[in-house]
This record gives sequence, structure tokens and C-alpha cells, in this order.
Amino acid sequence: MFKKRFIPFTLSLAIVLLAGCSSISSNNSITNKEANTVPSKELVYATAKDINDMNPHLYPGSMPAQGIVYESLVENTVDGIKPLLAESWEISEDGKVYTFRLRKNVTFHDGAPFNAEAVKKNIDAVQKNATKHAWIKLSSKLAETKVIDEHTVQLVLSEPYYPTLLELSMTRPYVFISPNDFINGQTKDGVNGFNGTGPYKLIEHKTDQYAAFEANEHYWNGVPRVNKITAKVLPAGETTFLALQKGEVDFVFTDDRGADSIDVEAMNMLADTGEFQLIRSEPMNTKMIVANSSRLESPAADKAVREAIWYSIDRETISRELFNGTEAPAETLFSSNVNYANVDLKKRAYDAETAMRLLDEAGWTLQAGDEIRKKDNRELIMSLYYDASSSSQKAEAEMLQNALKKIGFQLNLFGEESTSIASRRSTGEYDLLFNQTWGLAYDPQSTIASFTSEAAYYHTTSGIPQADELYKKIDEVMVSSDEETRKSLYKDILTIVHDEAVFIPITNGSVTVVAPTALKGISFKQTQFELPFEQMYFQ
Amino acid sequence: MGGYILKRSLLAIPLLLTISFITFVLNALSPMDPAEVVLHAQGVPRITDELLAETRRALGMEQPFLIRYFDWLLSCLQLDFGNSYVTGKPVWSLLGPAFLNTLQLTIISVVAVIALSIGLGMISALTEGKNLDKSIRGVAFVLTSMPPYLLAALLVWYFSVKLDWLPTNGMDSIQSYILPVSVITINYAGIYFRIVRSAMLANLNEDYVLFGRACGLPEGRIKIRLLRNSLQVAISVFCMAIPIILGSTVVIENLFAWPGLGMLSVKSILSRDFPIIQAYVLVLAAAFVVVNTFSDIINALINPKLREDM
Amino acid sequence: MKRFHYLFKDRLALLSVFIITSTLAAGVFAPWIAPNDPEEVHMELRFASASWEYLLGNDHLGRCVLSRLIYGIRPSVLWVLVTLAISLGIGTIIGFISGYFKGKIDALLMRVCDIALSFPGYVMTLAIIGVLGVGLENILLAFVLMKWAWFARIIRTSVMQYSNAEYIKFSKALGVGSFRIMWKHIVPVSLPDIAVTSSSAFSSMILQLSGFSFLGLGVQAPQAEWGMMLNEARQVMFSRPELMLAPGITTIIFVSAVNFFTDALQVALDPKLMSVTKKKQGKGIYQAANLHGKA
Repeated sequence: MFKKRFIPFTLSLAIVLLAGCSSISSNNSITNKEANTVPSKELVYATAKDINDMNPHLYPGSMPAQGIVYESLVENTVDGIKPLLAESWEISEDGKVYTFRLRKNVTFHDGAPFNAEAVKKNIDAVQKNATKHAWIKLSSKLAETKVIDEHTVQLVLSEPYYPTLLELSMTRPYVFISPNDFINGQTKDGVNGFNGTGPYKLIEHKTDQYAAFEANEHYWNGVPRVNKITAKVLPAGETTFLALQKGEVDFVFTDDRGADSIDVEAMNMLADTGEFQLIRSEPMNTKMIVANSSRLESPAADKAVREAIWYSIDRETISRELFNGTEAPAETLFSSNVNYANVDLKKRAYDAETAMRLLDEAGWTLQAGDEIRKKDNRELIMSLYYDASSSSQKAEAEMLQNALKKIGFQLNLFGEESTSIASRRSTGEYDLLFNQTWGLAYDPQSTIASFTSEAAYYHTTSGIPQADELYKKIDEVMVSSDEETRKSLYKDILTIVHDEAVFIPITNGSVTVVAPTALKGISFKQTQFELPFEQMYFQ
Repeated sequence: MGGYILKRSLLAIPLLLTISFITFVLNALSPMDPAEVVLHAQGVPRITDELLAETRRALGMEQPFLIRYFDWLLSCLQLDFGNSYVTGKPVWSLLGPAFLNTLQLTIISVVAVIALSIGLGMISALTEGKNLDKSIRGVAFVLTSMPPYLLAALLVWYFSVKLDWLPTNGMDSIQSYILPVSVITINYAGIYFRIVRSAMLANLNEDYVLFGRACGLPEGRIKIRLLRNSLQVAISVFCMAIPIILGSTVVIENLFAWPGLGMLSVKSILSRDFPIIQAYVLVLAAAFVVVNTFSDIINALINPKLREDM
Repeated sequence: MKRFHYLFKDRLALLSVFIITSTLAAGVFAPWIAPNDPEEVHMELRFASASWEYLLGNDHLGRCVLSRLIYGIRPSVLWVLVTLAISLGIGTIIGFISGYFKGKIDALLMRVCDIALSFPGYVMTLAIIGVLGVGLENILLAFVLMKWAWFARIIRTSVMQYSNAEYIKFSKALGVGSFRIMWKHIVPVSLPDIAVTSSSAFSSMILQLSGFSFLGLGVQAPQAEWGMMLNEARQVMFSRPELMLAPGITTIIFVSAVNFFTDALQVALDPKLMSVTKKKQGKGIYQAANLHGKA
């Protein structure tokens, strides 16, 4: 009787397991689904987060989505600043007055005309909320916006500021939304609609499900050839991968927080099917660990500890094994192709011996019988926060954790949502966290300007002994109009933060796109935060 | 009977109050200063002590604890749970739709669970001891031992990708209900199936069955009678299952990108969005109490013996 | 206990007991059994397949999968067992007090139980993680807060059932102390109920914990845990499917073993269940236990 009872069970267990095993092991072959023969005119991209509040004068919204709905006066390209909503501009002799001649016959999605009046209203609305835009130095230098005529507008600065045009080209906040959407003449407490001038307009948004954008029939630069773009919210990883295979989404790209939603091998598998193409931009930013030098109770305030971490990261292996060589090791905050960043800085290669020596010299010593180094009875324990939706950050963190453990340095890891990481960065509630520089359009000037901003890297930089000198130089470089002076100031700034090891570089990241093979015209902007969807078309 | 219903309903009120109090205290235990969190959410770059004090006043935080609790309770009753720290939107505008989505998933799953467990339970009970019974129980056992996410991954891979029948995720069409509902059903039917089976077995030996058989009544009629009695079990199982499944869709929702409470709560935890977490706990616990009260009443209506306990 | 003989006649149950005890032993003696350091990173061995040194191969950081599986028993099984013991302890004490003394104490304690039980399990756990932060210890704390009330309820019922028995009344009349009566007469007879209830709660707690780790709310890196291992394997589910197998199959086998053990225990402790009999009063209790094991 007991024996009999045993048989059906073992059988059923075996069946379930076998089914499980066989299905898992045979799924190496990707679905041999027929490629879509009829070229569709729609794109559905996967995004780990909802597009959120699309108000372009605030920061919660998804940047790639804002990038296709709103436009700025000028555009930052490989060849420098180019016209966008402004056809041409003049800068006064003293560098304080910028006169823009606006493009004619441009309308917002709701039909309202884009003119000097609209520009003034938008810029004034941004300035009304200046505290929020402290990271963008232009907000503190902009004195007045004048309407000269229907299509001419003048920005008057309180002092010359050389990155003005760069900052006007950014995805936000100096972009334009229809004045009809303002609430009480303002945008800081929300808006009534999301009518920009861009190539796509938002037609439907279901929070945490999807957002649909339709081509703008009246776009001044020609109607985009991809008729509709849908942003579908999907958890990163295998859910996105399955949806791609199934054709529920057909486009994936590195999101604005730098997280690739599927891993390198999975992307290569998709590309191998011939249905998808894999396109990578030039290196665009530097992925790094940021140390909180101002947190005195944490070992992060100690330069030797920060340097030891720097020496403990095996960048070569990370690049080779985790990224299959798609991301190059980064030795400095900015790679040398970034403007003003071609500075000779000491390379700190992976070297556990040096890390240990530095810690010993700084007084973090390992007593016999202890597993963790101590200094003045404080143990060498730190916390590192990573983006829970980025598997590469977690793997890097675990590698570092293991390397540090061997030299008597305990690292605790915490995975959180990117918003939570951002709020830690601004509150200073961290020892170490993962971050990335802001991309070619923003590096070095905006990233460096943000060293002084509490919303960004103030806590990272304010604890170093030369902080005052650093901030003074940053202020100087922003207003300096002499190229040579700027070069030397940038060199000093980069040398200080490099020597102090507060920004610990890991790899140079790029934007990766997985798209249907039939999609052509895929290119990149000078920023990791946007993609030029309007140039894409199906063949 | 009316007396029982009234009594049972009144009992739920102190329970609800205690729950709300615990939820409130829970939030007070959180290590973060709400004023500071609110200021950060508003993106204020430099937080001064004056600004903090002012925000605390604005939030009514210098009031005595109990007053704050009652204020909070009153606004909760009007579905005003404050604003999300992260998006700044009213909590209910996020929680409400998510709650409905989860409720839909739950109800459909519970119906499927009941259908499957009654069907299998009856077959298993009627063939008790035979190989069919044993196989059903064996499979049910293994399936309930399977972590739901593993089961989900296998089903998605097979039915969505390999066979290309069903969508892998989302909540766009009728088809997108099939996989999440199946995973929940498979996981829970195994448990409820056993209850139905033992109830049936117990029924099979009731005097009326023996009597009927002895009198030579056709088996079919006996079985119909049996089924009717088992329906009673089914209803009480149904009532028990709703709140349990409602609270445990977290893993499934996250796997299938189902825009429900489970996804919302995990996201809020990882971004430390306390007002949402608090409202989530309160709403689900309250729903739990309400459903439990209803199910007790329904059970008492069906089975008058239970009323004696009160 | 004579009735446990039934248990040992059942081969399936025997096998379950063997699986359970050997897993527990492996967890306790992990440092001696595991072939390698479970946290040692060897990037050059990333995704290496099985070898003599690494019997189950290596994961995405080149760590030994077998060693991680063995060390993973500690959080996945042993800590759950400890949590179960704590909540069982609290539940037993409260259940006994409530069931034995009855009256006002009983009413008060049962209202407290009602409150604890009115938070659905997952929700309470999420609430505690939300407030105290992500981590294994917070999930275990939530388990204790949730489960004690169930044990208290179930034990109270069975204590009440037995404390009305003639021989207990007789002892009381003789003036034997309350605690002596409880210990000598009531504990032994209610033990079966406790065993079945806790065994069924055990398997559901293991699954729940692995679910939370799978969502990234449980164990934090680099600690090995079965749910976490599955989560890491999920990232490369399609390029390296074999990584899902080890933690997946281990979990299924272990939880199945616990479930079968529970079932066998139930049958052994109540042999009448094996054949068609009248519904016994005690059975309702087992059902409740099974139901809420999942909650």
C-alpha cells in the first residue's frame, strides 16, 4: 500500500521536473517566428519606469519621452551648437545679451503659435522656480527675457556665462510648452496638458502601463516617418527579453539612468536571429562610484579609503567579462575625448597591494584575529547603494565587495530604486553610490557645475580639504571668456577631484539600441538622455 | 439571524480602528523625518532649520500624537492618503486603479481555483485510493511546492514565446489574464483541492449516502446530493481564499508587469515612498477585515451551527 | 509516541524525513561540507560549467554554485526554522494560557490574535520591509509577528478540547497545580496538532521567503539564498538556463519533502483519516492550518 502510494508521486515529480528541464534546456533556440514582412510604422519601446509627469520644467518625467515632445532653442551636435527653434542668434560684445531669431510657422501641438511671447512666458516660468534649477547655472545668471518682436527674443544675463547656449540646448528645463497649458501663468505647480513643439505628441498615458505618442502632422521639420511610438512599462531582465522575442515590444535602449534592461549576451542572441540589430553609440559617459567625502562619521571622508577603493576595482575584468568588451575601462572622471578633459592624471590600476598599503599608512590596520580593519576603534565598514534594476551595477558591486573583503574592508550593498538613489545623493545619506556623468552634451561643464549643487554632488565634493578652492575655480571657469584660462582652470579642477578620489570611475558607458532590422536611420544625440526618433524609418 | 449579522459587523469596527492605529504607528516608526522627505520630494536644494520647522508646522507635526492620528484617520476615510513623495500625485490616484486591477486578477483567480479544486476534489474523493486519486494528489503536491515565479517563468516561456499563444505580460486583453491566473490557480488549487477532497470524503460517509445506497437509489442522484452539500464547503473556501490571494499577488504581478497593488508596493518600498506603503497596508488590511466579516456572515447563513459560537 | 510508527512504515514519509534532516544537517555544517567559499569571486570562471572542483559549475561572478546552494540552506531553511520555533513558542504559551484559563484572559488574548490575523501575511511583511528596510531579518521579524497568532489560535482550540476531559477535571479537583497539569497532561496530547500545524507553516514560509528574495526585498548580496540565486539566474535565463536548475529543483524537492512529511504526519497522528470515516473534530484544525500556511 505504501509502495503504491510512492509510485504516482515519484512519477509526477519526475514529469514536472523533466518538463521543466527539457523546456529550459531546449530554449536556447530563439523562437523561429517569421519576421514581420509588412513593415509596420509603429515602434513600441520597453521602459523600466513610467514616463511620469511630462511637465518639461520639472524633473520627474522620463527624458527620452520629453525629448520627443519638447524642443529647445538650440541643439547640441557633434559639430557644436546648431539652430533648432531659433534660426540664428547673436551674442553681444560683452557676452551678456543673447538675441535669438525664432523659426517662423512653428506651432505647439494644440495649435498655439510658437513666438517670442511664448518663449518669454516659458523662460519666466522656469525662472520663477529657480531654486529647483540651481544645478543649471544659467538659471542664476539670467536677468531678463525681452520680447523684441513677434520672432525675436533677447536673453539678458547678469554676467557673461560661456556655457549659456549649451545649457539652453538641454532636454530640460529651457524647453517650450504651450502657454495654454500653464496654470495661473506658471508651470511649477503642474500643467494642464503636454503640448510641445516636438516631432511627437502625447496622445495617451496609462500610468505604469504605457504611453502613446503620435507623429506631429504639423512638425516644422517634416512629419516623422514612424507614425506612432509607444513606451511600454516592463520590468527589466527576462520579461523585456521575452516581450522582444514575442514582438510585444520591438525597441529597447539604455535608459536615462544608465540601466540596460537586458544583458549583453541576451542582446547578442537577439541580434543573431537576424530580426534585430544592435547599435551602440560612441562612449558617452563615465559610470562611476561616488564617495561622500563630507560624511565625517563614515570612512568615506578619508582620502586613503577612497583611493583604496579605486585600486580595488578590476576594470579590465569588468569590461571584458561583464560587458563582453562593449564598455571600455575608465581611469578618469572624463575620458580624454571630452572637451577640456585631456589632462594628464595619475592612473590607479587594479592593485590590491597598493590598496592595503594606503590603508595601513592611513591608520586603518588589521589587528591579529580581526577580519575588519580598524582605526581609532572604528571598523572599516561602508555602504554602497546600487540601482536595483541594473544587474551590471549589482555584479560590479559584488566584485568590489569581494575584493575589499580580502583586504579587511567590509562593504554592505543595498539595491534601491533610482529615485531613492538620487535622493540619497542630494541628502548626503550615503557612503558610496553608483552614478554616471551626464554625457557628452553636459560634460564637463554641467557635471562640474553640479559639484557645487546640493541637488547633485555637493556632498561628494564638500568634504575635501581644497573644497573652497575647488568651488572658486568652478565659479571662475563658468564666467571666463578666455579659452586658455578655461583650459587651465578645468585642468586644476579635474586634478583636484582626481587626487582626492571622490569620483571613482569604472567604465565608459554608451547608449545601446536593440531595434528591428528593418528600422533605419538610427542615430544618437550628444546626450544619453534622448534618442532622435524623428529620423528613424522602416525600410 | 439579523442579530448575528449586526453583532458580527459591529465587531469589525474596533478591529478596523486598531488596524488603522497600528498602521499610523508603523509609519511613525520609520526612520525618516516626514518634513525632510517632503522637502526633498519638492526638490528644495538647501534645507534650512527654519524651513524644516515651517514644513513641520504645515504638516501639523507639532500637534499631539493622538490628534494627528485622528486627523489622519479622518482624511483617510475620505480616501485622502496624502501625496506620493516621489511623484507628488495624490496617493489614491495611484492606489485606486492598482487596487481594482489586483481585485480583478484576484476574483478571476479565485473562481478558477474553486472550479479546479472542486472538480479535482470530487474526482479524487470518488476514486479514493485508486491510481487516479493518487496521481492527482501527487501532481497537486509538487505544483504547490513549486515557487510561483519558477512556474510563471516556465509557463511564459512555453505558452508565450514557444507557442506564441499568449502575451508575456501586461493587462491589455482577455488573453493577458490567462497566464497570471493560471499560476495563481495552480499554486492555490493544490491547497484548496485537499480541503474539498476531505470534506467530500467526510460527506460520502454521511448517513444519507449510506442510506441512499442501502435503499438502492441511483448513484447519479446520490452524487447530485453530494455535490450540493459540497457547494457549502466551496462557498466557505471561496470566502477564505479571496483575502488570502488578494494579499499575495505580489510576486505574480511583478513577473507579469501587472499594474496592480503588488507592483506598486514593491516599487514604493524600493523608492521609500512611505505614504503609498502606509495607504497600501491600510487599504488591504481593511479589505481583509471586510471580506472576512462577509465570509463569516455568509458561512453562518449556510451553516447555522456556526452561529452558536458567537 | 506510538503513533509515529505509522510514519516510519511509510516509505515516502521516510524519504521526506531523510531529505529534510540531511538538508538541515548540510546547512548546519555548511563550512565543512561546502567545497568552496560561497562568496569567492572568480571572474575567469564566469558561467563555467560543472567541473571536479565546482560540481555544479559557477555563477555570473564565477562563484561555486554548489557551495552557494549549501550555504543558502542557512537563510532559506535554517533561519526559517528558527523563526518558526520562535513564533511557535510564543503561540504555544499564549494558546495554552488562553485555552486553559479561559474567561477574560482568553477574550483579551484572542482579540489581540484577531488584530494580528487581520493583516494579510504578504501585506504585513511588505509593511515591515517598507518601514525597517529591505533585508532577511525584517522578513523573519514579520513572519514571527504574523504566525504566532495562528499557532495561538490553533493550540488554544486543541487545549480547550482536552482540558474538558474528565481526567483533567479530576486532576484539578485533586488540587494539582495548573502548570503541572498543562505540562503533564495537556502538552503531550496537543503535540500532534502543533506538529502538523508548524510543519505545514514551514513549507509556506520557505516559499514566501524565497519569493521576497526573488523580488530583491530579502537577503542582500553577497549572501547566498535560494530565491536570490534564482533571481540572479533569471537575468540570464535564456543565455544560461542551467543556472535556474540547481536552486529551482532544490527548492521544489525540499518543499515537497516538507509537504509530504506534513501529510504523512497528519495521517500517522490520526490513522482514521486513511479510510473513509466521519469527520473528526480535530480535522478542521488541520485544514485551517493548511489554509493559513499560505496566507
